[in-house]
Amino acid sequence: MRRPLFAACWKVVELRSSIDPLTGEVTPDHLSLGVSRSDEAALEWALRSAARWGGGVRLVTAGSAKTEAALRQGAAVGATELLRVDLPIDWPSDWIARAVAPHLADADLVWCGDMSTDRGSGAFPAYLAAELGISQALGLIGVELNGPDGPAGSDGPDKGLGFEALRRLDGGRRERLSIGARAVLSCEGATTRLRRASLDGVLVARDAPIAVRVGSRGTTVAPAVASIAPFRPRARVVEPPAGPTARERIRSLTGADAAGRTARAITLNPREAAVAILEALGSWGELPAGLSGERAGDLP
Amino acid sequence: MTERFDVVVVGAGPAGSMAALTLARAGRSVCLLERGPFPGSKNLYGGVIYGRVLDEILPRWIDEAPIERWVTRRVTMVLTETQSLAVDFRSSAWGAKPYNGATALRPEFDSWLASEAEKAGAVLVCSTTATGLLLDERGRTTGVRTDRPGGDIEAGVVIACDGVNAFLAKQAGLTSTEDPSHYTLGVKEVLALAPDEIERRFGLEPGEGADFEVIGGTGGIAGGGFLYTNRETVSVGLVLSIEGLSRSETRPEQLLAEFKSHPAIRPLVAGGDVVEYGAHLIPEAGLAMMPRLAGDGILVAGDAAGMCLAAGIWLEGVNFAMASGAAAGEAAAEALERGDTSAGGLRGYRKRLEANFVLADHRRLKRAPHLVLSDRMQHQYPQLVCNLVEEIFTVRNPSPKQGIVAQARQERRKAGVRLRDLARDGWSAWRTFR
Ligand SMILES: Cc1cc2nc3c(=O)[nH]c(=O)nc-3n(C[C@H](O)[C@H](O)[C@H](O)COP(=O)(O)OP(=O)(O)OC[C@H]3O[C@@H](n4cnc5c(N)ncnc54)[C@H](O)[C@@H]3O)c2cc1C
Repeated sequence: MRRPLFAACWKVVELRSSIDPLTGEVTPDHLSLGVSRSDEAALEWALRSAARWGGGVRLVTAGSAKTEAALRQGAAVGATELLRVDLPIDWPSDWIARAVAPHLADADLVWCGDMSTDRGSGAFPAYLAAELGISQALGLIGVELNGPDGPAGSDGPDKGLGFEALRRLDGGRRERLSIGARAVLSCEGATTRLRRASLDGVLVARDAPIAVRVGSRGTTVAPAVASIAPFRPRARVVEPPAGPTARERIRSLTGADAAGRTARAITLNPREAAVAILEALGSWGELPAGLSGERAGDLP
Repeated sequence: MTERFDVVVVGAGPAGSMAALTLARAGRSVCLLERGPFPGSKNLYGGVIYGRVLDEILPRWIDEAPIERWVTRRVTMVLTETQSLAVDFRSSAWGAKPYNGATALRPEFDSWLASEAEKAGAVLVCSTTATGLLLDERGRTTGVRTDRPGGDIEAGVVIACDGVNAFLAKQAGLTSTEDPSHYTLGVKEVLALAPDEIERRFGLEPGEGADFEVIGGTGGIAGGGFLYTNRETVSVGLVLSIEGLSRSETRPEQLLAEFKSHPAIRPLVAGGDVVEYGAHLIPEAGLAMMPRLAGDGILVAGDAAGMCLAAGIWLEGVNFAMASGAAAGEAAAEALERGDTSAGGLRGYRKRLEANFVLADHRRLKRAPHLVLSDRMQHQYPQLVCNLVEEIFTVRNPSPKQGIVAQARQERRKAGVRLRDLARDGWSAWRTFR
């Protein structure tokens, strides 16, 4: 059986810059080259994936030779293959994804950070998934690798590589995903922390080989843009404000009179506090049906 | 798993990198440990480096080291609350090879020096803190423990270049009791200014730099101030007696703000945006605080050994650190060669320091720290001198001018300085600086 391969993609950038207060010119601090917390988390998830299902971890970066010291830090914590795709780091994300994708064609899961410290477009993981023709799960805020193996119905080479993750959606909403196929995943830095390299790891990583491939952006097909218009979300119909006077109507419109979520300081023992919290959440409609303040009485 | 090197050097400051460079060149396996993410990331100093130490060891340093400006103007200034008096010296010789002093930024300079050690074969390991010494059953140092998993490193010799806190020397029992009066606190701001603006304000040509050392301006706390020009920033700071600072219950940044607004300083720094603020201890007491320099399997160099020379008009630490680091490296290589790394086997270190400027300068200036930080030097004399000069240059027509000696006598009395103390301090200064 083929050993699974997990990959992590790092964008190595200057972590600090100084900004000229007069001209606004940004001077990156070349001594601070490194990766964002979310890129670090991506490697940690790749390492944990390999620990869970066996197989190797390929750490990939795109850029010049000066990124290699950072790449070696990945080897120090356990990445088994290091790969640098040599290309100008200021290429747009779709070009970089196209240059990197051929080197990830054999990867089962590709972990990326959801943002780089230089505040890039954040579009690389999506472009990469498109290039590889595999699923994407972006903006993960929680990952549970140790759930039951594989979602029902998964098959093919991916069988068994299944786990659950929680994804961030717009408007503070969340989506629980069951991931069971090859995918590009991007995670937030808060999902986990990269393990600390052992001293031995650091010393060995100094000589870790780094494969270098010249990046090619291939042919670019510009997307067809049908029309460009300002963002005008459709209007929502709401009840007209109630009240005989303008003042009251404003109050009702702004919800000033509604029982709000104003803070209150109360001192309770832990059990009473738990009940009070559940009651408040229930009254704000934050709890799923069936789990409300009344049920809090069942608390041990 | 335990790693093994001939020598482990703790701290990639100027002392540590020099020690590692010397050892690597001697063909020894050497691990250079640095707790910061890169050398210099944790370090703070005023800003001037004297490079004579480098001439022999890294002869191309003038062209290769990341120098900001070559110092051609050196100003020694006395401040009272409203007055200032300066000796302003310039030398065009200092603006050409071999130069005298140079301003440099520590993240750049320390990284460069450590990279030279790496080029010679030293193994630099960053983001790694030595948390203690490994000792054998007889109390001899056999290596260090680090904060990494599996992080013990065994070595024939440990060279502790871990800076002013000197935790390793303390663990090895090389330091005697600690005295807060042996330390000062340095606080510094780096202010951004355009290069041509710096040149205009300080009267410099492009590439030239100025070094201002200031006595007074510290809000009555023993210490002094400094002002150095970098390429596109100015470093301004204070050095403050720890005891005086804690007694005054004043925040150092407040004192620095007051220093920056002194009429003699303000025009030089006005409008500069603060791009950095930092604080760091300085070992000030020289010989009086130096630990034993060698123990079984361990040497101490640089600030960890109290080798910074803080003698009023001189604040030199980097050159003393580099020279002591190089001497420690040579002595360790020699001891390893002979197979005797006991304290006795490492005594070549002290001999080397005795033979070069490090201990000679400290001996010569051993009274300076005490003298310079004394109350009269800090407060009464600056006031006396400034008042005297003000009196001399104030024109009081139609009254005729007074004789200078008579004025001096009058000002001395006004400042409450006894003739006996003046004579004693004069004698002491003569003996210290002759
Ligand atoms: C405000 C101020 C102004 C100064 N101005 C000047 C000046 O203008 N010119 C001058 O020559 N000198 C100046 N000095 C003095 C000078 O900075 C020091 O004397 C010099 O830096 C000493 O070098 P060092 O290598 O001994 O120690 P440091 O430069 O302190 O280096 C010690 C290194 O060890 C590392 N380290 C510490 N503990 C550990 C550990 N446990 N494990 C791993 N690494 C560790 C630190 O991160 C650091 O990199 C100034 C000092 C101050 C504070």
